[in-house]
Amino acid sequence: MTASNDSPAMVTADPLAATHPASLWRDTLGGILRQRSAIVGLAILTLLVAMAVFAPLIATHDPTQTLLGFEEGVAKRSAPCIHAFGCPETEPEHYFGTDGNFRDVFSRVVFGTQTSLTVGFTAIGLAILFGTMIGAVAGYAGGWLDNIMMRIMDVLLAFPSLLLAIIIVTALGQGLINALLAIGIVSIPVYARIVRSSVLSTREADYVTAAQALGESTSGILLRRVLPNSMTPLIVQATLGIGGAVLEIAALAFVGVIGNLETPEWGSMIALERNQLFLAPHIILAPGLAITLTVLGFNLLGDGLRDALDPRLNR
Amino acid sequence: MSHPSRWTSRLALVGIATLVFAACTGAATPSPSTPTAPPDATPVTSAAPYDGLAYPETGEAPCGVGDYTGNFKKVTAIDAKTVEFQLCAPDVAFLAKIAFSAFGIQDSDYIAAHMGDGSILDQPNGTGPYKLKAWDRGSRLVLEAFDGYWGEKALAPNVEFRWSDEAAQRLLELQSGAVDGIDNPGADDIETIKNSGSLAFFEREGLNTLYLGFNTTIKPWTNQKIRQAIAMGVDRQRIVDNFYPPGSEVASHFTPCAIPFGCEGNDYYTFDATAAKALLAEGMAEEGITTLTTKIQFRAAVRGYLPDPPQIATEVSQQLKNNLGIIATPELQESGAFLDANSAGTLEGIFLLGWGADYPDTSNFLDYHFGPGSGVKFGKPFDDVAAAIQEGGSASADADRAAAYGTANNLIKEYVPAVVMIHGGSGTAFLADVTGAHASPLSTELFSVVDPGGRDTLVWMQNAEPLSLYCGDESDGETLRACEQINESLYGYEVGGTKAIPSLATECTSNADLTVWTCTLRDGVKFHDGADLDANDVVVSYALQWDANHPLHKGRSGAFEYFPGLFGGFLNPPPPAS
Repeated sequence: MTASNDSPAMVTADPLAATHPASLWRDTLGGILRQRSAIVGLAILTLLVAMAVFAPLIATHDPTQTLLGFEEGVAKRSAPCIHAFGCPETEPEHYFGTDGNFRDVFSRVVFGTQTSLTVGFTAIGLAILFGTMIGAVAGYAGGWLDNIMMRIMDVLLAFPSLLLAIIIVTALGQGLINALLAIGIVSIPVYARIVRSSVLSTREADYVTAAQALGESTSGILLRRVLPNSMTPLIVQATLGIGGAVLEIAALAFVGVIGNLETPEWGSMIALERNQLFLAPHIILAPGLAITLTVLGFNLLGDGLRDALDPRLNR
Repeated sequence: MSHPSRWTSRLALVGIATLVFAACTGAATPSPSTPTAPPDATPVTSAAPYDGLAYPETGEAPCGVGDYTGNFKKVTAIDAKTVEFQLCAPDVAFLAKIAFSAFGIQDSDYIAAHMGDGSILDQPNGTGPYKLKAWDRGSRLVLEAFDGYWGEKALAPNVEFRWSDEAAQRLLELQSGAVDGIDNPGADDIETIKNSGSLAFFEREGLNTLYLGFNTTIKPWTNQKIRQAIAMGVDRQRIVDNFYPPGSEVASHFTPCAIPFGCEGNDYYTFDATAAKALLAEGMAEEGITTLTTKIQFRAAVRGYLPDPPQIATEVSQQLKNNLGIIATPELQESGAFLDANSAGTLEGIFLLGWGADYPDTSNFLDYHFGPGSGVKFGKPFDDVAAAIQEGGSASADADRAAAYGTANNLIKEYVPAVVMIHGGSGTAFLADVTGAHASPLSTELFSVVDPGGRDTLVWMQNAEPLSLYCGDESDGETLRACEQINESLYGYEVGGTKAIPSLATECTSNADLTVWTCTLRDGVKFHDGADLDANDVVVSYALQWDANHPLHKGRSGAFEYFPGLFGGFLNPPPPAS
């Protein structure tokens, strides 16, 4: 597959353009920009990434600091107060209010972006790395090796992912790093299967046969011919997977397996204040919305990428 | 050589005089081999000599010898309705202790048949006002009134236990009328309940203690100055003001002052960040460390002493950072694993834990934590603290008890195996039309005296599901409350209070030095399966807890934590864990 073949507009505009194939990335971006939902997803994620990168500049307070004794007039679980919107100047300004430990909720939500995105990208990155290796080797080698590897993946897939993640964290011990590893491990089978199926369909392709005839090594064929052509479904799945990973880390934090409660994390923020649902709903609403927005962003972008990268939808 | 007939008549006179004296004083210790006739024996037992059991069967426990640290010497069924407890040392709190839920009396035949396979854990056979009807694990526990109950019959035909560890859900269920009563409303919800015309709040006295514990055999907690610095460096009043419901107070001693002899000795450290910092610096210099990074380990279980575990752990962590520069990360642990690690002495950080009163005596707080049988929760027990506690528990004169407990409290303050923090107020809430509603200071509400507004079933929602319904081997308050409705001990506690009152025993009397207690059992008491209560049931119920080698010493986990905690130790104690 080449990008030029997927771009009828270019073919009709200038037949000579086919001799200068457009890059996959440029083509993908063009595809995304043609879809409103994908643009919205991209915008949300750009905002979130910016928030994560510039969190120390955006946050108004130290997210772990109890403000009792440090800020005059601070109240426990105070309602949002924005002076520009009419909140009295005598009250301390907290955009999303304060939580049960007199901490600024807005700052915790902002820093929570760092935690969620870091976990999401890293966990799925690990899953892609190991899933790709397993899928590529299994698909290309076939036979008993394929059988063994895929049965192991089937075993992992047989468990509900969240349950398996909890089991892994319990075995490894509490902590954000272990939770990240757990999410990565439970995600591996998805990527391994995707890569394996792509490899199975491409290993018999003419250009692979040609490479074999030219004497290219197995690893060379795998890395230079087969894997690049398996990337499309992987990218789409990874984008959707990061959203899932953000949800999973929030769920793990909610049930308390992360352990450390000081780290600003959206799931643990909700867990800590869940009994205040009726008395101070804003404390739960803010991290809840952040989770929703992040997952929505990744899902919209993932859908857009799938549409942009699917040659059948580009006709 | 003397005349035999003269000596025989003298011996006979001495024998008669002894019997008359014994009958008058009532303090004699009758021999198991010569049981006296029960004053109100049932026809079955009066028809034939009663085959009373004794434990140990021969001889008695080796008080203070070898590895036996317990205070039980022998338990004997004198006759069908009389049980005698011989102790190694006087125990002033004996009645308060035997009233505790863990010492509920079981039918000896039923135990023999159902302990081995564990079925006694969820098929209890007590003598209480309620018997088990159904237990849908994970969902609800239903009890029904026991028609053959010896005392006042239960007002509600059924009691249903439900549970949720979410304070918000408990309140919502109560407000909607789905339940009639709830335990431990959230600290922030109490005002809402008090202001509601359809609900009623019952305050529970803070007979509990929150503490910050250390394993004093693990560095840097081996250093007393570091421990003392933490005791001085935490502003406990700020925690009470911001995280506890009304009725809570900063603890001046490990035992709440409402308990007799609880507050002997000097008051605890007052908050002084400057002095604490200086002391910490000294301690750290002695340890050769410049920074102190640790964890605050805790569990999520809501208790009267810890109404909001994560928030209080976070607050303590913040105070340690701001006041002392100690980085202590709050670490939430699974409840069972946390308690096991605490018992095994493997918690390396500062642990946030507490204790609620089981019976209203200082020994309930001090013996379990710092007494000779207290284990390795805080590392190795301090010998002088343990000795003072033992002295306080065995002294019969008030002045002696006060002096001994004063010494113990002063030493606890000096050594700081745990930072004494707060006595937390809590309570129960009921629908306004429920009569007889109350909050027990010991958290063992008795539902047989509660009428749920004429409805058939009293629905009660507490924090957690009972772990089992055999409470000899349980220590969880939610479990003990359920057992309290089904099982009864020789003594019990007055409804909504702490006074020990006769229950299955009509009375227990002691000899002058409080080392022999003789209990007379109540007539006409039947177990739920129809069996009659007799003295052998009492002997077996105690013996299986007391002797770690007893064939029925099984329970749920086999730990039987309370018996050694309250009575000093097991007979044939298991070897200490390596």
